[in-house]
Amino acid sequence: MERYLNPLLLLVAVVATMLSLASGTLELDVIPALGDWFSGSLTPQALIVGEIRLPRTLLALVVGAAMGMSGAALQGLLRNPLVDPGLIGASQGAALGAALVFYFNLFSGLGALATPIAGLIGAALTLFILMGLSGSMARPAIIIMAGLAISTLASALLAVVLNFAPNPYAMQELVFWLLGSVSNRGLDNLAVLLPAFALGSFMLLAQRRLLLGISLGEQVADSMGLEVTRRGRYIVLGTALLVGSSVAVAGNIGFVGLVVPHLLRPLVRYRPDRLLLPSALAGAIVVLLADILVRQLPPERELKLGVLTALVGAPFFVWLVWKERQRWL
Amino acid sequence: MALMSIENLSVERRLADASLEIDEGEVLGLIGPNGAGKSTLLSAITGLVAGSGRVLLRGEDLQRVDSLQKARQIALQPQFIESVWALSVHDIVSMGRLPWGDSDQAVIQAAMAQAKVTPFAGRHVNELSGGERARVWLARVLANQPLLMLVDEPVANLDIHYQQEVMQILRDYARAGHAVVIAIHDLSLAARYCDRLCLMDGGRIVKTDTVDAVLNDATLSPVFKVEVYVDLDNNPPVVLAR
Repeated sequence: MERYLNPLLLLVAVVATMLSLASGTLELDVIPALGDWFSGSLTPQALIVGEIRLPRTLLALVVGAAMGMSGAALQGLLRNPLVDPGLIGASQGAALGAALVFYFNLFSGLGALATPIAGLIGAALTLFILMGLSGSMARPAIIIMAGLAISTLASALLAVVLNFAPNPYAMQELVFWLLGSVSNRGLDNLAVLLPAFALGSFMLLAQRRLLLGISLGEQVADSMGLEVTRRGRYIVLGTALLVGSSVAVAGNIGFVGLVVPHLLRPLVRYRPDRLLLPSALAGAIVVLLADILVRQLPPERELKLGVLTALVGAPFFVWLVWKERQRWL
Repeated sequence: MALMSIENLSVERRLADASLEIDEGEVLGLIGPNGAGKSTLLSAITGLVAGSGRVLLRGEDLQRVDSLQKARQIALQPQFIESVWALSVHDIVSMGRLPWGDSDQAVIQAAMAQAKVTPFAGRHVNELSGGERARVWLARVLANQPLLMLVDEPVANLDIHYQQEVMQILRDYARAGHAVVIAIHDLSLAARYCDRLCLMDGGRIVKTDTVDAVLNDATLSPVFKVEVYVDLDNNPPVVLAR
C-alpha cells in the first residue's frame, strides 16, 4: 500500500486540478481553453481558465501542500500528533503584516501584491524575534513556547489594528481576508509564494533523518549524531517559511496542517520521515477540493475557504483530543 | 592501548574529575547508589552533556570528531526510551543505521537475530511486552555496530530470564572486538557478567577494579550505607544488602 500512496495521491491531485479548472459558472472544455491560453490566443474561454481558474487552482494546491507538509514536520519534531503548524507564530505575524497594509495603505505601489508581501515581511519579522527569543541553544519545546508567546503578541496587535480600523470597509475587507481564501488572486501571487515554498519544503525534506531518529526521543536522536538543536531549527524555519508565505497570500486556512498528517500516518506505517510528501500531496488535494466546494455555493453568499476548512477540521480536532485523551489517562 | 581513555571528565554539579580506561573486549559495570552520576558519566562520554576533560577513542580526541562519525563508534542506550509513534520493530532496529546513512539489511537482520526479535519484526513496538521491547532497543544499538556501547540500566524492568539473555548478548558483543559499559543496580548480575567494575558515589569515581576487589563489604557498605552480603564463590555469585 505504502508504495502506491504517493503515485495515487498525485493522480488524485491531477484529477482534482482538472475538476477545479472545469468548475465555475461557465461550462467549457478545459484542455482546449488551456491550450489557447498558453499559446497566447486569448479567447474568452482561455481568459477564464488562464486568468481566473488557473491561479486559484495553483494557489490552493501550493497553500495546501505547504500546510500539509509543515504540519507533518512539526508534529514529528515535537513528537505530538496534536500540533498545528500555526503554533510557531508565523501565521499571526503574516496576518499582522497584511493587516497593516489595510490600515496604513502601505506598499500601495505594489497593487494587489501589497498584502502578500507585507504578510511575508510580517512572518519574517516574527521568525526573527522567535529565533532571538529562543536563543541559539534552544530545544524544540522552548522554540514552541517562544512561538506561542509571539503569536499571542501578534494577535494582540492585530486586535489593536482591528479596533482602530479607519473605516468599516477597511475592517470588513481585513476580516474577510483573514478568513482565508484563494479567490481573486492573480498568478503574480505565486511569485511571492513559490520561492518561500521551495526553500521551506527543501529545508524540511532535508531533515527527514532527524524526524525518524527523534521518534525515540531527543536524547537518542542526539546520540545518533543527529544534532537535535541545530537540525531542529531548520525544521522550525522551514515550517515558518511555508506557513508564513501561505498565510501572506491566502489568509488563515486552518486545520489542514493538523488533520492531514494525522489521517495519513497509518498509511506510511507511522514513519515520520515518510509522512512529508504524502502530507503535502493530500494537503493540496484537501484545500483544492474545499475550494471547489466553496465555488458551488451561490456567489452572493460566498463561504470563505478558511471557514470551510475550520468547519470540517475543528470537530475533527475535538474528536482527536477525545481519542488521544485515553492515551494520557 | 586502551579502546577508550577518559581523562578528568567533569560536568558542573554532577560529575567530578572522572578518569577511566576501557579495554577492548571487556564489559565494564558502572555501579553506585541512585544519583551517583552513572547516567551523567555515560552522557558525558558521548558529549551529550557539556563538560570539561578529554575523551579519547583509540587515542583520538572525540571533541575533534564530528557528531555522525562519533555516533558510528559510540552508541548510547538511555534508561528510559519510548517510541511515540507505532513504529514497527524492523523500523526501530533500522534506526541503528541512521549514523551510517544506510539501511544495510544484512546488518539489521543479524542484529535482530542476535537480540532474538526476528519473530516479531513486523509488529508495532508498542504492542510488545517489556522484555521483548528491551531486546528491540538492544537490537537497535547492535545494528549501529559501535566500537563502544553505553547501556543505561538495560535489565531494570526485566524478569530473571530476560535479564540473563540481555546480559549475555551484551557480553557476546563486547567479546567480538568491541567494549560495553553498563550502568547497573543489580550487583549480583554485575558480578556475574562484568569483567571490571567502576564504583561511583556523589558524582565521583570511588574505585575502578576487578569484580573481587570492588564487590566486598568493606568497599560497598560506606557507599551504599548498608551492610552488604557478598558470596562471589557461589554459582551464580550473590551480592545483596543484609
